[in-house]
Amino acid sequence: MMTREEVLKDLKVRFKEDIVDLFDKSPKRVYVEIRPEAIVKVGTYIFKDLQARFNVASGVDARTHMEILYHFSLEYINLLISVRVKLDRKAPAIDSLATVFKGANWIEREMNELLGIKFRGHPDMRRLLLADEWPEGVYPLRADYREWDVNAVRDRGV
Amino acid sequence: MSITLNALLKSPWVFHLSTGSCNNCDIEVLDCLTPRFDIERFGMLLAGSIKHADVLLVTGSCNRKSARRLKELYDQAPKPCVVVAIGECSLSRGLFIHSYNCPVPLDHIIPVNVYIPGCPPKPEAIIAGAVKLIQKVKGS
Repeated sequence: MMTREEVLKDLKVRFKEDIVDLFDKSPKRVYVEIRPEAIVKVGTYIFKDLQARFNVASGVDARTHMEILYHFSLEYINLLISVRVKLDRKAPAIDSLATVFKGANWIEREMNELLGIKFRGHPDMRRLLLADEWPEGVYPLRADYREWDVNAVRDRGV
Repeated sequence: MSITLNALLKSPWVFHLSTGSCNNCDIEVLDCLTPRFDIERFGMLLAGSIKHADVLLVTGSCNRKSARRLKELYDQAPKPCVVVAIGECSLSRGLFIHSYNCPVPLDHIIPVNVYIPGCPPKPEAIIAGAVKLIQKVKGS
């Protein structure tokens, strides 16, 4: 098993062209920003070769861009690696990791319907959380989301 | 008072439904059933199915998916059925009033008879609400 320094050095050397930024935040946490095109390559390496656990991914509408953080934990060195990708906000799309590990399947479906990020090559992109009557193309967690439901009541009735 | 209503008030069976709450109100409802508060002394018993129940306890802020299920449950309930809203979320959606997923409050979906405010309401408040409910139905 590699130590923390060896893991970071290995990542830096192996994905020299793909890593945009590596931010060593604390002994327990590292943020690695990569090019979105390299996500399958990097994700597969961290999951399969470094034997990391895929915790979850989080999508953020950062107004200037759309951001996904894939959180991997390496329990043998007590390190959390957050792989960050920045996507174009107008048409956010990225390759799916669900074919590499099944844990990414549902969170990608969730990000697809709440933020409108397209995942290329996802095996089963059905609706997961939103109600059936929710209109297509309306993404509730985007910063510019506006109310579409004319029947919604937004006062407390007093 | 009719004999059936009298019998109902002796032992109202309750059915507990969470429509997307944070589970805190549900914990307080379960607290009411423990020996410390013991709501069974008013004859209340938790029923496993709405078809056996006289009272529907609703917690949570009624999201788009659970609102349809709630309506279905209310239709299945034997009438007269009393609806008790427990907690701020089921009263007015509380913190989630502007949520994209909670378009209308509970009393726009089904008629509500008793409101028990609080976040979460104490078991004492729930018991007080239950007693007031029984007295109100007796009085009418």
